[in-house]
Amino acid sequence: MKRKHRLTIYLFILLVIIPVFISGCWDSIELNKLSIISGLGWDIDADTGQVTLTFQSIIPNEIKGAAGSNGSGGQRRGDPLHTIQLDSSTGSSAYDALNRYSQHSSRRTFYQHTQVYVFGHSAAQQGIYPFLDSISRNPINRPNVLMAVAEKNASDTLSVEDGMENIQAIGMAAEIKLSAEYSKYPSITFLEFANRLISKTTAPLAPMIGIIEQTAPKGDRVKKARINGTAVFNGDRMIGQLNEDESRGLLWAINKIKKGFLVIPGANLEIVSAKSIIVPELQGDKIMITIAIDEESNLLEYDGHREISSALLQDLEKDQAQEIESQVMAAVEKSRALNADVFGFGEAVHRRYKKEWPDLKARWEEIYPNIEVVVKVKTHVNEIGEIKKTMIKD
Amino acid sequence: MHLEKGKISNFQLSVLIIGFIFGASVIIAPGQGAGHDAWIAIALGLIEGLLIAWIFTALARHFKGKTLVEINSLVYGKFLGNFISILFIWYLFHLGALVLNNYSRFLKLELYPATPKILTLILIMLVCASSVRRGIEVLARCSLILVTLTVFVVIFDTLLVAPHMYLHNLLPVLEVPIGKLLWNSHATATFPFGDAVAFLMVLAFVNKPEKSRSAVFKGIVIAGLVLIIVAVRNAAVLGQMAAIYTYPSYITARVIDVGDVLTRVEVLVAVDLITMGFFKISVAYYGTVLGLAQVFNLRSYRPIILPIGILMVILALTNVSNTAEMFDFANKGYPIYTIPFQIAIPLITLLLAKLRKLPQTGGEQA
Repeated sequence: MKRKHRLTIYLFILLVIIPVFISGCWDSIELNKLSIISGLGWDIDADTGQVTLTFQSIIPNEIKGAAGSNGSGGQRRGDPLHTIQLDSSTGSSAYDALNRYSQHSSRRTFYQHTQVYVFGHSAAQQGIYPFLDSISRNPINRPNVLMAVAEKNASDTLSVEDGMENIQAIGMAAEIKLSAEYSKYPSITFLEFANRLISKTTAPLAPMIGIIEQTAPKGDRVKKARINGTAVFNGDRMIGQLNEDESRGLLWAINKIKKGFLVIPGANLEIVSAKSIIVPELQGDKIMITIAIDEESNLLEYDGHREISSALLQDLEKDQAQEIESQVMAAVEKSRALNADVFGFGEAVHRRYKKEWPDLKARWEEIYPNIEVVVKVKTHVNEIGEIKKTMIKD
Repeated sequence: MHLEKGKISNFQLSVLIIGFIFGASVIIAPGQGAGHDAWIAIALGLIEGLLIAWIFTALARHFKGKTLVEINSLVYGKFLGNFISILFIWYLFHLGALVLNNYSRFLKLELYPATPKILTLILIMLVCASSVRRGIEVLARCSLILVTLTVFVVIFDTLLVAPHMYLHNLLPVLEVPIGKLLWNSHATATFPFGDAVAFLMVLAFVNKPEKSRSAVFKGIVIAGLVLIIVAVRNAAVLGQMAAIYTYPSYITARVIDVGDVLTRVEVLVAVDLITMGFFKISVAYYGTVLGLAQVFNLRSYRPIILPIGILMVILALTNVSNTAEMFDFANKGYPIYTIPFQIAIPLITLLLAKLRKLPQTGGEQA
């Protein structure tokens, strides 16, 4: 009896001691030993072909202090407190640069919180597949990291201190997401980019980020990062870009309009909902694409002097439809000029005509510029707001 | 001679089979070679898997309360019977090692990059050894809890990832050439459905053997339906990348992002693998040690649990030299390699037993 009792005590002690040793992973690292990467930039030197990776890393200890000082002082965020640190390293390939960085960085790099991959303009033009391969092979990559192309260098773009965020890459990601939410430019995740790349006919896209200079209230010049276009790729090489109107047209066609504003002569409308569908039709050797868009909006402002009536709203609906159609056609024209299937017409044909597809796919570059595109827009103005008559009458 | 005194109910058998089939297939996407038509391959594979199950349950019903080893020595006689049994035991042993191998590769790549593979293998092997030691009853009981948990996690993941699903990714239906589709459906029939042939070592301990076939079928069908849902989900979320990722289910769980708050839940999928892999390894392990004990007329299978476990870990570490080879074997070799074990041995044994009108007395043979 006594012996059994003692055994229980030994077991109990063992149970208490063992968890102490097995509680952590083999390679656990405390937060203050990590450098958490928030944004990754990728540049290629056009002459030497050397790869430069730019790391924007968060220094965890400083975040809290910086957040506290925001409200109280007039200090410029991030500057004296170093919430983020920029670093770069150069190597012959993405992984080479990455490893070099890991070696000279005093802290262990942690990539799982990367918000955005920024590609330098010339790197994008030379092809970004080496980067995509190395990043997707590694478990550090998350499928919903955002892709962006810098108007100039990725390193410059990542170094812009901008926005309300302590961590610029988070601000940049938020800006990309907002621009997609307000239906200005597409936000493309790694996964979407990869799927567009695999399809071979559909052109990958990424928003373009430029740097603008503004005069701050105190008079000094401030740099800000702003999205100003959509980069269009052929395969992994960037071949051109869409401007604001064309990007909007693209979003209409690929059913990515969520909300946003539509300006037509004399009025401004708020998009409430929009749906679109791409219907391909194969007639002999000719492909006809119908883009059917169904949109609903509210009236935000009306500068004209006509009485608000259903007749007026119908006119507005017509103007709206025209505006949407012209935006879509602008995108179509541009994509024809670039010969890049940004809309995924090829995939739409693929889904409907699987037998004919292999043949069409092989000749897609010849076919694409000659596809006939018809845009059918149905619009509806729903609400007019709190006043129902104009204050100034003719 | 009774090496196993436990009994399991038919319901427990169904649940255990679900856990067994989920085994490695929660991570290794079955039918991946068929691209976005993987779900069709799985559906066809499910039908073929049911045929395989029909054969081995027929054999088990013919010899109620007997494991394959006992059946073999009855049908083929002592010497040839034991030889065939050893072959089958090799299959179980190898199956366990393969699952262990998948297991350690996945954990090494995704979760514990700095932890030596052998450590994860030893830890899981110890758990399996303990459950095998306690017998089939214990295994069946814990399957109830863990399988429910896994099915819940799969449903949870699927619901959360629903906003990212684009069902047009599944179009055009049946794009894959018919030959490739059939090959992939046969591959899914052998892994994971056909592997249920391992239950020839377990079916003897079901308390109502006359109903065991419907229990086996229920387990396979439910597991198959869940796998079809998973395949549809993965293709709808990942698009064509579903065929490129090594572990698509894991990546699909990574896509989950509910309001920037509920993210990074992919580790749940890894938990699924750890728990379900435990069943697959344990059943294969159990079959191996029980079979060996019966072949060699041991009084208990317990003394050989640890040695077999050590051998299994060693085989798991050495049998496949790299992940590409693992997938090559899974896609090209395994569907053929398993035909003798999953189809030929049960079928021939059943036919011979019918021809020889066995069992004549139903009496016991030592």
